[in-house]
Amino acid sequence: MSTSAETIALPRRLPGDLAMWFFILAELSVFALLILAFTVAQALYPQVFSEGRQLLDRSTGLAMTLSLLTAGLFAALAQEQVRQDRPRRGALLLCVALLLACGYVGIKLAEYAHLLANGLGMEHNTFFTLYWILTGFHFLHVLLGMVILAWLAEGCRRRRYGAQEHSGLESGVLYWHMVDLVWVLLFPVVYILD
Amino acid sequence: MSASPVLIACWMALAVLSTGTVALGQVAASGLVSIAILAVAVTKAWLIADGFMELRHAPQLWRRLVLSWAVVLAIAISFTL
Repeated sequence: MSTSAETIALPRRLPGDLAMWFFILAELSVFALLILAFTVAQALYPQVFSEGRQLLDRSTGLAMTLSLLTAGLFAALAQEQVRQDRPRRGALLLCVALLLACGYVGIKLAEYAHLLANGLGMEHNTFFTLYWILTGFHFLHVLLGMVILAWLAEGCRRRRYGAQEHSGLESGVLYWHMVDLVWVLLFPVVYILD
Repeated sequence: MSASPVLIACWMALAVLSTGTVALGQVAASGLVSIAILAVAVTKAWLIADGFMELRHAPQLWRRLVLSWAVVLAIAISFTL
């Protein structure tokens, strides 16, 4: 039998728990509303948003994007190792993902500190009100994602996950990918699109 | 077959597209550039959904739901620009 025939014969499978997918859809809907609120406000106050955006550093935004996406890669690689019954290797890869996520947190906190030092807090203008709400809400999701990654790494270290049991791990890793998914739309809206 | 090459290829494409987004942002703002930036964002969402989240192997309903989130949101954003 050819490889392609085998591929076609494979049943379609939704990774992780079904509940996690409903949770992801709910989260995506909330972020969609927030992102749209941001862009509608931009349409109403284009000058304020253009000036506000010029005070943000795009290279910082790019560095955060690469940190998040690379963490996502390592989380996915960890998942693959666990499926091949190598949970200890999976734990190591999850720790690398966690370190990369720490990189994002460090850059984001530095950006927040820089803005606050320049008096660009939440009450500065409409742009910064929505900037802080949108990126702050996403930042909280990143922090929760990091707690989940750490929990998964510990679970792998204790061999709680393996080739036979990895649905919980898949759900946790999916949450991290959801955080990435939101960021790829949020990043251009906040940092780039004038 | 190992999934690693697929994951690494997705990550490389995501890194290139992210850099491309910033490069497009340097170009003088116009409707066409904005559409291009949104198209890149949707492509990145597709890479994450089908590559990292493995929706390419999932039931079509879930795959379409997640992909349509990115597409519909990008279209809605384009109307506000």
